[in-house]
Amino acid sequence: MKLDLKGMSAWCIAATILASPCAFAQERTGLTATSIRIGSFGALTGPGYLYGKLAMNGIEVVFDEVNAAGGINGRKLEFIREDDRCDPAGAIGAAQKLIYQDQVFALIGGGCSNATFAARETIEKAAVPFLVVASVHDGITTPPAPTIFSTALTSTIESKAQVQYAIDSKAKKIAVVSMRDSWGRARYTPLMDELKAKGITIVADEEMSPDANDATAQVLRLKQTDADAVIMVLFPKPAAVFARDAQKLGYKPLLIGQTGIGDPAAFEDQVGVPGATAKFRTISMVRYTPNDPEMEKWRKLVEAKFPGDRLSVFNLFGIGSAQVLVEALKRAGPDLTREKLVAALASIHDFPVDVFGAPITCTPADHRCNKSPAWLAKDPSGPVKVLSITRVE
Amino acid sequence: MLLFSYLLLGGLTSGALYSLVALGLVVVNKSTGIVNFAQGELFMFCGFLAWTVHVQFGLAYPFAFLAAIAGGFVLGVVTDRVAFRSLAKTDVVGLVLATVGLAFVLRGSARMIWGGKGDYLSFPPITSPEPIMVGTIMIVPQQMAALAGALVIMLAFAAFFRFSRAGKIMRATADNAKAATLVGISIQNVYTLAFGTGAAIAGAAAVLAAPLSLLYPDMGFAFFIKGFAAAVLGGLNSLSGAVVGGLLVGIVESMAGGYIHSNMMEVAPFVLIMLVLIVCPTGILSLYKARDV
Repeated sequence: MKLDLKGMSAWCIAATILASPCAFAQERTGLTATSIRIGSFGALTGPGYLYGKLAMNGIEVVFDEVNAAGGINGRKLEFIREDDRCDPAGAIGAAQKLIYQDQVFALIGGGCSNATFAARETIEKAAVPFLVVASVHDGITTPPAPTIFSTALTSTIESKAQVQYAIDSKAKKIAVVSMRDSWGRARYTPLMDELKAKGITIVADEEMSPDANDATAQVLRLKQTDADAVIMVLFPKPAAVFARDAQKLGYKPLLIGQTGIGDPAAFEDQVGVPGATAKFRTISMVRYTPNDPEMEKWRKLVEAKFPGDRLSVFNLFGIGSAQVLVEALKRAGPDLTREKLVAALASIHDFPVDVFGAPITCTPADHRCNKSPAWLAKDPSGPVKVLSITRVE
Repeated sequence: MLLFSYLLLGGLTSGALYSLVALGLVVVNKSTGIVNFAQGELFMFCGFLAWTVHVQFGLAYPFAFLAAIAGGFVLGVVTDRVAFRSLAKTDVVGLVLATVGLAFVLRGSARMIWGGKGDYLSFPPITSPEPIMVGTIMIVPQQMAALAGALVIMLAFAAFFRFSRAGKIMRATADNAKAATLVGISIQNVYTLAFGTGAAIAGAAAVLAAPLSLLYPDMGFAFFIKGFAAAVLGGLNSLSGAVVGGLLVGIVESMAGGYIHSNMMEVAPFVLIMLVLIVCPTGILSLYKARDV
């Protein structure tokens, strides 16, 4: 068969001419001369609303502030929310609606890890820039998707920080109590890898189910090993049961949590036993507590915009992420395209944000832009305090 | 010995709560022949009702207890009217699916009503949270209160069935529905009473469990599955079997966690159930009854 090269060339040229405006149009979807449409998905209802709705409230006050100052290169930010109900199928549907129906230019959001992880493929396929706010699943950013960046900590970063905190606290015998569902596994595996890498042999490795109502067996087994630090890979519910049962059985080790139990004040309330959380330390993505005077500006803005709300750490997640996205949009310039925004995100280096533990750095090879977890503690009947920041390499 | 006593107490407490959930399931199954898959969600909903009365309205614990039982009864009656009576002419699968649907409705409703108040709500302890030392053994008043409360409810329940007219009617209908109809008993009313009573027990169990657990809209399924396991273990038509089954599930769970490994806690009761069902497919107490005859 003889190939008609002339004919093929003509087809290629025609296809290129036809496709280019199409690709160009896609690059500028969600943009007008006066607006940039940004979509957000996360849980607006259900128990995950803290990581969804509240984070979005934080994003919105940053966008309002930007718009009040004239927008970015003359364009105002439009913000569209979609509820993923903390459900993987819901997140895929929400991402599809925002991308194809609402035609957003970029995405910011993602609360529940498994839901956001499920939406990764949809977002990656559509090549829409996406900045993750609160989801910590490693798979969202590792291996890196070209257009997906994260200002959330990841499971691996948190696991490394937990091990480092135990070492820094001079713990002699370290134990682990974990959930082994998909959420727990995503943290348990890197935790064990990190312990191995540091040459630490744990004295006990116990398990709890997310719905556990009694931790007597786990506490007694840990008590027998005399572990002085317990790394908790648990949701607040089993963690509260564990802390409560530890207290009642007279076992008082250092309890090392993670962002799943990111609010020490709420945790103290959930445990409900005086003194049971006195040695509880946990990770926060942000270096301030809502009652810190440094957060006064944001408290006023959030509480004015959303009457009845009180500033929370979840608002701060959104505020931090939104500041990074705004900076990237500014750097991408007035002739904005999705490609330029991705390039701008990848070039953010040592960018100071009002709320995170350290300046934000993204690179083309590593889209995990926040690697500085803050450690929180709450004295019984005292305020929540930031103890330190761990820089994870 | 100390380890054994702690594990036994923990297991008995959890087991007593599973027994109450199982009792509710058995009451409905014995009267109507179906498993109420909404039992866990009825339990959850009553827990939230009690929280509202006790924490939000600031009323004393006994009022919360009564509210949960009364609320449970009403919800049970609604279950009968919505998921059972209106579908009475369909087959068992249809009825069971209706209870599954009701479970989702209750869960969604709880999310709408209480979901925005925090991810997990804590219920204040009934007693002092501080443990009491009796010799070398540490007694946790909260656990003892839950255990004692569960035992009182079980005894009250047994008395209801043995001595009250309504209880006797329910027993008669469960034994022979046709004969009960012939002597003028309204079967429909018995079904309503069975659903109401089953849900009221779930309400009582929820108030006892709430201070030990935390309240959240998805909590019902975990209790349902343990209660269902307990009911199957004891025999789905045996009230005393439900109690024995629940206690066994709780104790086996606790002992397996303490003496083997904590990853055995979820598995061990179900392994036991499989073994028991191989030997006596109609439940552990059927063996006892067969010998008795």
